[in-house]
Amino acid sequence: MASIVVAVVFALKWKKYKLEAEHALAQHHASTELTINELESAKIHGCIDRTRRRQVEAVFEVLKDAVIVIDAHGEVLHTNEVASSVLSCTPKQAAGKPIDEVISDHQLLATIKDAHTGLPREGRMYEQEISVGDSKVAYEVQLQSVGSIDDAHHAVVTVLRDLSQEREIARLKSDFVSKASHELRTPLSSIAAYVEMLIDGDATNEEEQKEFYEVISTETERLRRMIDNLLNISRIEAGLMHIDRETCDFKMLVDRAVTNMSPQASEKSLEIHTQLSAVDLSVNGDSDMLYQVIVNLLSNAIKYTPEGGRITLSADSDNLTRSLHFSVTDTGLGIAPDQVEKVFDKFYRVENYKRVAKGTGLGLNLCQHIIETLHSGQIGLESDLGMGSKFWFSIPIGGRAAQKAA
Amino acid sequence: MTHRILVVDDEAHILKVLSLKLRHCGYEVITAVDGEDALHTALNQAPDLVITDIQMPYMNGLELAVSLLGNKKTSHIPVVVLTARGHTLSACDTKIENVKKVLSKPFSPRGIAELVGSLLQDTPQSERTASREAA
Repeated sequence: MASIVVAVVFALKWKKYKLEAEHALAQHHASTELTINELESAKIHGCIDRTRRRQVEAVFEVLKDAVIVIDAHGEVLHTNEVASSVLSCTPKQAAGKPIDEVISDHQLLATIKDAHTGLPREGRMYEQEISVGDSKVAYEVQLQSVGSIDDAHHAVVTVLRDLSQEREIARLKSDFVSKASHELRTPLSSIAAYVEMLIDGDATNEEEQKEFYEVISTETERLRRMIDNLLNISRIEAGLMHIDRETCDFKMLVDRAVTNMSPQASEKSLEIHTQLSAVDLSVNGDSDMLYQVIVNLLSNAIKYTPEGGRITLSADSDNLTRSLHFSVTDTGLGIAPDQVEKVFDKFYRVENYKRVAKGTGLGLNLCQHIIETLHSGQIGLESDLGMGSKFWFSIPIGGRAAQKAA
Repeated sequence: MTHRILVVDDEAHILKVLSLKLRHCGYEVITAVDGEDALHTALNQAPDLVITDIQMPYMNGLELAVSLLGNKKTSHIPVVVLTARGHTLSACDTKIENVKKVLSKPFSPRGIAELVGSLLQDTPQSERTASREAA
């Protein structure tokens, strides 16, 4: 809406300058004897007109929307660089040419020509698919008249707003809602089904009853984690996450994670090794969040490494780059090259991993946000299918807050 | 008169709860954890009805239904599809002839047992089941 207002205001000014210029020209032609003073005055007026024209052109050029202004004769008065995408020539070449010669998209041409024969006071607005090169692009087309139709200086301003980005955002939002709803329904289905089985007396003995309650409990916990992760990711993305920066003893965080995850590793007879550099591994960051990332990466390694496997946690600091580097290497299932890029995406789950263990599909995305958005670091993955994976992150040792507390 | 039902889902809890409910209702239940596994099981064990989730690794539930329809040995088997995608799909939407019903997750095990009962009401047991029972 802003673009059409700016374009119309400047088209009006342009019209005024054009009238002034034509008036000056008429006076010039009418005059047979020009005094030195009159000549000087005409030069000054010419300078002012050029300056004003450049100002108007500058305003058209900064607009992000395409602008096409045609005069009473249907000839192009002005276009801007953005309009190049819908023109069959450059904006400079288009100036002064009939609109038919510069617009090749038939539908857009018909819309502008139709507006040229008359428009309501409030103008018109359409959504149209317009040919740009070999593809069709969705545009919002706004049309506004300047002056009345029988006025010799009548003009039609057309502003075209590319809707591709808006449509892509809408598609991503809808895709996200659909994925979130799908993922939330999965644990909900188990909870609802097992509750109904208990009500219907389908648990035939106490042991079975206990098993049903356990499923309800673990699936409720899975649902809670999913909701927590979703809310945390959304808060980080919105820039609302509060982070408590302090000097953290990274070695202590790793040791705590290993101690807490040991029972799960022992159940699968997995060996956990730590290779922590002897140098000081203090880092400026939010210890709870960094701990959460370490636990998440270690927990994934435990889930997806077959029994008897080995998991190695390494941490070292690089004084040259002033960064701390941490990695979790496992002898697990590994991830195919075409899936490596996607593992940090929301709700992406490696297909053959689903059967091995349950997850929220959000853990790695949250880790990525904590490391990259909140700690100005980098997170990544190296993997060989069938051989194992190495998840790593690096963060600045004394990095300043990437995001201030809300 | 035992009908054999093939239940397919990559979620172990769902597989278990459906199997248990259908067994309590007197059906014989066989299971599979993805579409490929299910197709193989259906060809070898000739179930009277298939209940399958849609989103599964290797071969999804709708691809499974198409594959069953495309094989003379399994084309007659009615298929019930479970989906966590919400109410965006109906049996007609799938345009797959053997898909008799699409149910949204969360589902009611009791409701599924009733549906299976009504779908199999007029369906004679497969030759495989009848011959097994006669023996």
